[in-house]
Amino acid sequence: MKRFALRFARTTEMTLLVICVVFFIGLVIASHGDLLEPNSLRVLLQFLAVPVLIGLAQMVVLAVGQLNLAVGAVGGFTACAMGVLMADHGVPVPLALLIGFLLASVAGLLNGLLVVLTRINGFIVTLATMTVLLGVQYRLVGTRTVDAYPQGLKSFGSHAVFGVLPLIFLVALVVAALLAVMLRRTVPGRRLLASGGNPIAARLSGISNDRSVIIAHTLSGAILGVAAILTVASSPGVNKSIGGDWLLPSFAAPIIGGALLTGGSAVVLGTVLAAFIVRFVDTARAEFSLEPSWVNFVVGTVVLGSVVLGQVRSRRQERRTVVKAPDAAVAGGVS
Amino acid sequence: MTLFAAERIDKLFPGVRALDDVTLKLEAGSVHALLGENGAGKSTLIKVITGLYKPDGGRLLLDGREVQFGSPHESASAGIGVVHQERNLIPGFSVGENILLQSLPTSRGLVDRARIRSEAARWLAELDLDLDPDKPVTELSVAQAQLVEIAKALSVESQVLLLDEPTASITPNEAERLFRVVDKLKNDGRSVLFVSHKLEEVFQICDTVTVLRDGSSVLESGALSDLTRDQVVDLMVGRVHEALTLPPRTVPADVEPLLELTGVSTATGHADVNLAVRPGEIVGLYGLVGAGRSELAKALLGLDRITAGEVRVRGQVVRIKNVRDALKTYKIGYVTENRKEEGVFLEQSVSRNIAVTVWDRLRKALGQVPFLRYVPKKAETALVVDYVEQLGIRIASPEQLAGTLSGGNQQKVSLAKWLAAKTEILIIDEPTVGIDVRTKDAFHTLIWDLAANGLAILLSTSDLPEMITLADRVVVMRDHRVRGEVPNDHDYDTMSQQVIRLIHAERTAA
Repeated sequence: MKRFALRFARTTEMTLLVICVVFFIGLVIASHGDLLEPNSLRVLLQFLAVPVLIGLAQMVVLAVGQLNLAVGAVGGFTACAMGVLMADHGVPVPLALLIGFLLASVAGLLNGLLVVLTRINGFIVTLATMTVLLGVQYRLVGTRTVDAYPQGLKSFGSHAVFGVLPLIFLVALVVAALLAVMLRRTVPGRRLLASGGNPIAARLSGISNDRSVIIAHTLSGAILGVAAILTVASSPGVNKSIGGDWLLPSFAAPIIGGALLTGGSAVVLGTVLAAFIVRFVDTARAEFSLEPSWVNFVVGTVVLGSVVLGQVRSRRQERRTVVKAPDAAVAGGVS
Repeated sequence: MTLFAAERIDKLFPGVRALDDVTLKLEAGSVHALLGENGAGKSTLIKVITGLYKPDGGRLLLDGREVQFGSPHESASAGIGVVHQERNLIPGFSVGENILLQSLPTSRGLVDRARIRSEAARWLAELDLDLDPDKPVTELSVAQAQLVEIAKALSVESQVLLLDEPTASITPNEAERLFRVVDKLKNDGRSVLFVSHKLEEVFQICDTVTVLRDGSSVLESGALSDLTRDQVVDLMVGRVHEALTLPPRTVPADVEPLLELTGVSTATGHADVNLAVRPGEIVGLYGLVGAGRSELAKALLGLDRITAGEVRVRGQVVRIKNVRDALKTYKIGYVTENRKEEGVFLEQSVSRNIAVTVWDRLRKALGQVPFLRYVPKKAETALVVDYVEQLGIRIASPEQLAGTLSGGNQQKVSLAKWLAAKTEILIIDEPTVGIDVRTKDAFHTLIWDLAANGLAILLSTSDLPEMITLADRVVVMRDHRVRGEVPNDHDYDTMSQQVIRLIHAERTAA
């Protein structure tokens, strides 16, 4: 346990946790304690649910060495589809949400199948599906905002436990926990990461890399389905711009969280913490009444900084193992 | 008892018989060596055994039953464990998970970490390896990682273990440890196939040996106790070379070297390298894969750091900063061994490929407008036509894409761009890998002529006949050090003996 604690202390997650805490304390002080008001906390967390999920949706494809440019389009399209089903066609809420979830999952599955079957680079495949789905989304809602869906859903979207913990935030946390368990403790999850970490070794161990890619894209779609449901529940209405600003945050969270673009890393906690940090930047902007453009500037800088930091870290680790090699052989020598 | 046999295996590739009637038998409780020069067919045989290649003739027998493997996974499941030359661990996974990756134990749908720990610990204990199964593999030393791979290979209950050059990247101390493990496996009644270029290791741990030469077995399951090191070397190199006759040529010995290295050490591990190349001379740099030849070339081009010693070009001590510097200031060209990746732009025309080194010289200003400079197509084509003729590159037009040329012609294009740049020192790395014999001879003649025209050529190759055909002197490298220098008398028998002996010389002699 002690060794585990030591190892954790050196991880990206620990660094992010410290940054989070310091940042939060800074914000509390800057706001003269206002941020600790239940209502402020609730708003802070309310707007975290969707960023956490879209970060995870990107993280899971990055884990297998792929990427998904269609995160916003899948989310936006399913959100609009659910809105139209409920408002225009009177479909009951649970059924509409289920259909939305399935649509997003199928979109992810299609991405995965296209990548595997056509052997076309995932960048191009998801760029294409993104464009297609944006078209479908526009076709569904045109220029209007769809908001005539049942109040029950909207009150679910704004309800908060003890007036502090928004339900939708808890849903996002549950998804994160499930994903963490899946990636760390289930055989498909381990295989997915093995494929991402070293595809050749994975293949020699009887793992189908194709299956891993398909599973990752499908999971990505499913998580986006949940993100779309939470969006519908917590927004005043859905329109063609839903999902339009998801792409960059979806990459920012896992990259700040320590994900390797080459695949093989599962950084659920890191992604969640990074989403917090991005949210804090936004809160700080509001607190100090800065221009919104500052948020992009800061987030962009942090993304670059964390990538550079990660490279320095891995280079240092390489040097450590090289230096360590000779005496390790002596120390561990058998008699 | 024979645990595994590959009987009368044939393997054909377009134009090449890679394996010709090769038989390999592995006995229980025994360590068997597979020896042969580069290109003798060792890797092909291993790929056939592990199911990566389908043999064109012959059969595989496991425990006396005929087997067929469609993939490496099938051979592993059947009980043939392989430790490949390349690292095959999943970074970020623990030692235990890597060992048991083929069949992770689960309970109630979740990966059972306690069982991974205990089962992995069992395999680690079997190898007398004191390692925490929870340790991430990224924290292992190279030798530890190698032993973990052996544990992984054993975890599928393999009775036959293939070790492909397991000591190529580990220190002698670490190798000793590996040998103790091999000994233990042997005493447990398993069968081990040991592929290595290091003869002292083979004599130390192996019982029997099969020697391949040019795709056929020249010795099948000979007892190593009946053989001497010299006999084994003779078996490996004893081919008769169909000689290419090149016109005689004398290198003036008193001319100042164009390129001279004294006591050079590099960041990639070279120590105290001395060599000199005079104009008109071809100096061969011979060594096995991993001896540090390409790395030395890259250090000369400024791609890796030179940490000690002096490099002189035309008598002047120089510090070459990068390839551009090497080319523009010192007139050094480098013909890479990775033709397709580093040598030519496959999607570009032949003329672009050749002119790329001299665009600066060719470009013209468009009137007086600043920044608007361009390379006139006419100048490019005129330049290219010369070299196409000189090197005998077979192309339909200078606009043909380099990717559509044969390997030999691509290699000529890769060479032509350095000639176009008027380099005076050429470092040529494995010029004829994957090129058929006839083109090979043409290429050799070409390199010979270049030297006759006054270029200083450093020819790095692991192809011994090529070296003996071309080089004036042979510098032998092993483990990033120069092991000796032999003047070439162009007699295959005496040269190969001398060179191979330098390579396989006892470590103490170094």
